[in-house]
Amino acid sequence: MGSTFAETETAVAPPRKKTSALQRLKQSFDIGSVLLIAVIAIGGYNLIQWSRVSTLDFGIIVDYGPALAKAAGMTLSVTAVALTFGLLIGVGLAVFLELPIGPFRYLIIAHIEIWRNTPLIVQLFWVHFGMPALTGISTTAIQSGVIALTLQSSAYLADIASGGIRAVPQGQWDAIKALALPGRTGWLQVILPQALKIMIPPLGNLAVSFLNGSALLGLLSVGELMTVATRISNFTSKPVEVMSTVALLYLVINLFISYLTNLLERFAGHRYDAV
Amino acid sequence: MDSRQNHAPLIQCVNITKRFGTFAALTNVSLSVFKGEVVCIVGPSGSGKSTLLRAVNGLQTIDQGTVTFDGITIPGPSRNVRLIRLEAGMVFQSFNLFPHMTIRKNVTLAPMRARGLSQAEANERAERLLKRVGIGDQIDKYPDQLSGGQQQRVAIARALAMEPKAMLFDEPTSALDPEMVKEVLEVIRELARTGMTMMVVTHEMGFARELSSRMVFMTDGAIVVDAPPREFFGPSTDARLRTFLSKVL
Amino acid sequence: MMQFEFSAITRSLPELWIGVQYTLALVFISLAGGIVLGLLACMGRLLGRGLLAWTCVTYIVTFRAIPEMVLMFWIYYCAPLLGGVRPSSIIAALAAMSLTAGALLAEVFRGGIGGVPRGQAEAARSLGLSEFWVWRSVILPQAFRIMIPALLGVTALMVKASGIASTVGVTELVYQASVTAGQSYRYLELFTAVGLFYFGILFPMSMVAKFYERKLALRAR
Repeated sequence: MGSTFAETETAVAPPRKKTSALQRLKQSFDIGSVLLIAVIAIGGYNLIQWSRVSTLDFGIIVDYGPALAKAAGMTLSVTAVALTFGLLIGVGLAVFLELPIGPFRYLIIAHIEIWRNTPLIVQLFWVHFGMPALTGISTTAIQSGVIALTLQSSAYLADIASGGIRAVPQGQWDAIKALALPGRTGWLQVILPQALKIMIPPLGNLAVSFLNGSALLGLLSVGELMTVATRISNFTSKPVEVMSTVALLYLVINLFISYLTNLLERFAGHRYDAV
Repeated sequence: MDSRQNHAPLIQCVNITKRFGTFAALTNVSLSVFKGEVVCIVGPSGSGKSTLLRAVNGLQTIDQGTVTFDGITIPGPSRNVRLIRLEAGMVFQSFNLFPHMTIRKNVTLAPMRARGLSQAEANERAERLLKRVGIGDQIDKYPDQLSGGQQQRVAIARALAMEPKAMLFDEPTSALDPEMVKEVLEVIRELARTGMTMMVVTHEMGFARELSSRMVFMTDGAIVVDAPPREFFGPSTDARLRTFLSKVL
Repeated sequence: MMQFEFSAITRSLPELWIGVQYTLALVFISLAGGIVLGLLACMGRLLGRGLLAWTCVTYIVTFRAIPEMVLMFWIYYCAPLLGGVRPSSIIAALAAMSLTAGALLAEVFRGGIGGVPRGQAEAARSLGLSEFWVWRSVILPQAFRIMIPALLGVTALMVKASGIASTVGVTELVYQASVTAGQSYRYLELFTAVGLFYFGILFPMSMVAKFYERKLALRAR
């Protein structure tokens, strides 16, 4: 963010010359970088236990590759299901909040606030272990996992959707009224598309959060990435290799999601520019 | 009213060039402003007027050329920019008052921290100046409690509090509702009458005509016309100026 | 449908209280560590060139993309490679939480500073103020006000992350609740109580954050 870093020293930049690759390489090493390299080099040299590092066997990963891939797939599907339902419910709730429904709105707000302001792990245990006592129905691990994820995501999404709806310019509402558009058309064709476009960035962040949240389902042995990771590392007694790989997998998946979000933002921008 | 003296101009811009990527904002622009002069700069948007003004106090870096203000030249030793800023007051189109401070604090901050005045001295100066611009009684309010015209007058007082040698105005009334333009112009008019050297980028033609010692017309990053108002608004030789004036007058 | 037994909760209060203390310790210490890391990363990113800036960006992006649980496990198992000592579970949890907090806070700081309109710094510099005063009197106070909702958000995330520390064996609140619930089979009561406790902390913070957000939006002129 260069906005507040206006140059204060000299008022003229040196005349532009063509910077060769070597020059650019030189420019990218300022004193901070040099210090950083020094710190890492010295720290690494002294602290890294090379004897242990050399015994690492990443070949294990290849052996278990298919299992990990399948588990990653399950992580993605669980997250996708939870987010999809969460989105539908959340947007629905947000729309309801805009309608004249009287005291019923407090129920909706209560739902949103409760599921937004408690940790996922508590929700998970509550749904899986506590709810059966309340309702008499007991859910399988995966059902509990998806339910907890969906409930929490619906709360977050309702909040985001509310924000998105409110961010749609007032003029759009006026236009709907002036044209006497029926409620459903107004919502589905005018307001929601614009609200959704506004919601894309926070939605991207939410997708990353919930993908990370799905790791908790490993505690219930649901079969997603974390479950499999702990199983393999216990079985092979090579937790370093397994955990590193799994961390990397999450990283890659999340980076990909962020990338998709960016693409989506740009794509949506062209089609839905508000007047 | 020829105020040109035999000694050097207070503000001297020499061959200033500034490019943003491939866009040439300023190309070899030279301008001198003598002490006591009011120079009004006009022109279509994108002509480089604001860029030139901001180059004078170093807010805008330039690729080529020099600016000399009261003998201090930039580019030069790194402290020169700050030295110029102490002597050149700037008033912005969007006021830029500090929203988290009272008016009093807005006006006393720089005199205290940059000129080393004591709290009492800074306060006295602030009260005097705010009264001069007509906002004496609002001194302990916050900017968001004032109207646009009031805020801009505070901004002028804030710049004056540093007792600058010259004032730079960057479209001071462009962001104001029409009914508030007059009160701000009145303050600037009064300032000119006291002999303050000023460079004013503006769209207010009537005002510029009345107050300026010289008018400068810019297009496409260059100064096209630089003349006293009578000559400027009279039958002009430059076609572009004629077109511009026909659109704005 | 079973009866809701309050006594299940009251019987476990001593253990739960220990859990609360651990939870609070986790949150505060990780925030402190996170502020330091976040400041370094933010400044490194904004002020550094090339390698330093790139490293900071990588740090920020990476530690926002890895689940806390995975990170805690990873540190717990991999730390011996970097010092020969297996860390205690609480150290591993704290390290993971601090690293995550640091990455989040670096972005918060960046947003705060970037959220101050450019004209503010320009006006301050035009007055001849030295960089020190430009930052101290004009930029930072405004940046801080902008950051308040996001700071509360990060705190809330740390509170939620503290619950995950139970998976590596830290005896904070969720751990205590699981253990006592496992003994008494009173999962519903205990987790409702624990849920309410977290709610009691997080809901007020969320309300304050919302209030500040609205206040900032109004002020934007």
